[in-house]
Amino acid sequence: MLELRLVQGSLLKKVLDAIKDLVTDANFDCSESGFSLQAMDSSHVALVALLLRSDGFEHYRCDRNLSMGMNLTNMSKMLKCAGNDDIITIKADDGGDSVTFMFESPSQDKVSDFEMKLMDIDSEHLGIPETEYHAIVKMPSAEFARICRDLSTIGDTVVISVSKDGVKFSTSGDIGSANVVCRQNNSVDNKDNETVIEMNEPVSLTFALRYLNSFTKATTLSNTVTLSMSKELPVVVEYKIAEIGHIRFYLAPKIEDEEETQA
Amino acid sequence: MGIKGLTKLLADNAPSCMKETKFEGYFGRKIAIDASMSIYQFLIVVGRTGSDMLTNEAGDVTSHLQGMFTRTIRILEAGIKPVYVFDGKPPDLKKEELAKRYARRDDAAQGLVEAVEAGDQVDIEKFSKRTVKVTKQHNEDCRKLLRLMGVPVVEAPSEAEAECAALCKADKVFAVASEDMDSLTFGSPVFLRHLMEPVARKLPVMEFSTAKVLEGLELTMDQFIDMCILCGCDYCDSIKGIGPQSALKLIRQHGSLEQILENLNKSKYQIPENWNYKEARRLFKEPLVTPAEEMPELKWVAPDEEGLKKFLVDENGFNLERISKGIEKIKSAKNKSSQGRLESFFQLSAAPKRKEPDTKETPAQKKAKGKAAEKAKGKPGAKPGPKAGGRTKMK
Repeated sequence: MLELRLVQGSLLKKVLDAIKDLVTDANFDCSESGFSLQAMDSSHVALVALLLRSDGFEHYRCDRNLSMGMNLTNMSKMLKCAGNDDIITIKADDGGDSVTFMFESPSQDKVSDFEMKLMDIDSEHLGIPETEYHAIVKMPSAEFARICRDLSTIGDTVVISVSKDGVKFSTSGDIGSANVVCRQNNSVDNKDNETVIEMNEPVSLTFALRYLNSFTKATTLSNTVTLSMSKELPVVVEYKIAEIGHIRFYLAPKIEDEEETQA
Repeated sequence: MGIKGLTKLLADNAPSCMKETKFEGYFGRKIAIDASMSIYQFLIVVGRTGSDMLTNEAGDVTSHLQGMFTRTIRILEAGIKPVYVFDGKPPDLKKEELAKRYARRDDAAQGLVEAVEAGDQVDIEKFSKRTVKVTKQHNEDCRKLLRLMGVPVVEAPSEAEAECAALCKADKVFAVASEDMDSLTFGSPVFLRHLMEPVARKLPVMEFSTAKVLEGLELTMDQFIDMCILCGCDYCDSIKGIGPQSALKLIRQHGSLEQILENLNKSKYQIPENWNYKEARRLFKEPLVTPAEEMPELKWVAPDEEGLKKFLVDENGFNLERISKGIEKIKSAKNKSSQGRLESFFQLSAAPKRKEPDTKETPAQKKAKGKAAEKAKGKPGAKPGPKAGGRTKMK
């Protein structure tokens, strides 16, 4: 028996909007500790990892670990039927083949039940080691989204370079080139507008803008975004979800030199 | 060509071993391709109207070059890194099969002459397709073209299929692309079908996994090879009246070809004379291939623009503009193949649901052992068994 009651139902709607274009089908894993998902996009270049901790729910009951395969497009369609202020409850029976989303209006005068069929998904899990990153950049999420969008009008890829005094985004294409530098900036009055750089080592990596632009669909979830980078490792783009969890996107870099050894 | 009826057998009995995938999903992957088979296909389909084919000024056929050039560009554009493997000397056992093919080609040539006389367009096309033969010159042309395009070429000591599988086993390439189901029998871990199909046919790529084939059929690799021989392969005759379904059933029941021969109802099934299944099995199990440590490093380099123009435009009468465009495409494709894949950074851990492959004895083996013990005494050695065995030893 599974019953998860999320007062801020709009969060779930936003999460789905953020990932449904990247991943079509995914397994949601429920355990005592929380509601999570890990899935790769079809080309195996990007990965999304979602975690909603159990303590973030008003009511959280999960008798045994449950993995529910869902088609995210369909799930998103159903969640679209919930009002922005609605309380969303996710319900499922152990071993059942469907999941129910219940939407309650804040005034409790309207209750809707949406039942969705589950599917069997043969997903591949990646073990992601906890690593210490060479550089971590925290910046306003809207700013990051803006830069990615702007640069993609010029080129397909972006080079993100972190140095002591700032983070530089550069691209070039047929029509020309562009550089955007964001300097470290500690604003006293508004933490959300800060750009903070923690760096042990300068890092410079190249990524496909197409994916970054897809990640920035999560901008509505949080005012800030964190980019964690290490040499020759996928970047982690993380959005915190209001006190209850996070959504992390991993993106494999472009490898510049020809001397790769692995098949 | 290939193993008779294997695709259908797998679809029915081990559906999880194949999955439809997208052509674009293989970017950044190194893939070995059987060159001879591709060239043969190009000669059949590319630029053909009736019995006329694309030719240069001297009248030499250039369909293979056209096909190789455009198809390879398409692969490169998807970010895939192709390796073309050329056939070496065919194994002795295949000569019989090849002789049959020559005979068929001669028949077709005969038919073509008749069709031309009768002026029947449909027949002319049909027969002229059947007369297609890949010559040394065709192979040589394609090798030259590929080198100019910056694509690596591997010379197989014997069968290209086997060499492709060996490359894959040695982790030099991610998969083998072929239309020939032999690749599975050679034990290529990952095998792709329809990768080389023209875009127009819109066939999805089929990815086969040998491990899952064995899991699905509940056979060991040795048993799978025996089953393929029973189904009918290029190396020896098969037993009349035994199709793929019964081949699978027999192998599951008896465990090996030796056991099957011993138990088979000889009055019902005619076993070919001098049936050389042991040698065929050896060719599948230990084919002549380049040892893993001697395999050359595969390198993809920038195309030789001047060389390509000289070879294709000046020597073979291709359109300069089209070739220039093609070269541009090759250059820009370089960019795409540089995209990393997550699997190369993070370890793939099997999803919690998936079962561990069964390492225990399969039911077939158990049964085979039991039956063997039972029948070993009563029956005298089956006729073709020892004969075939004897011949193998002599070699």
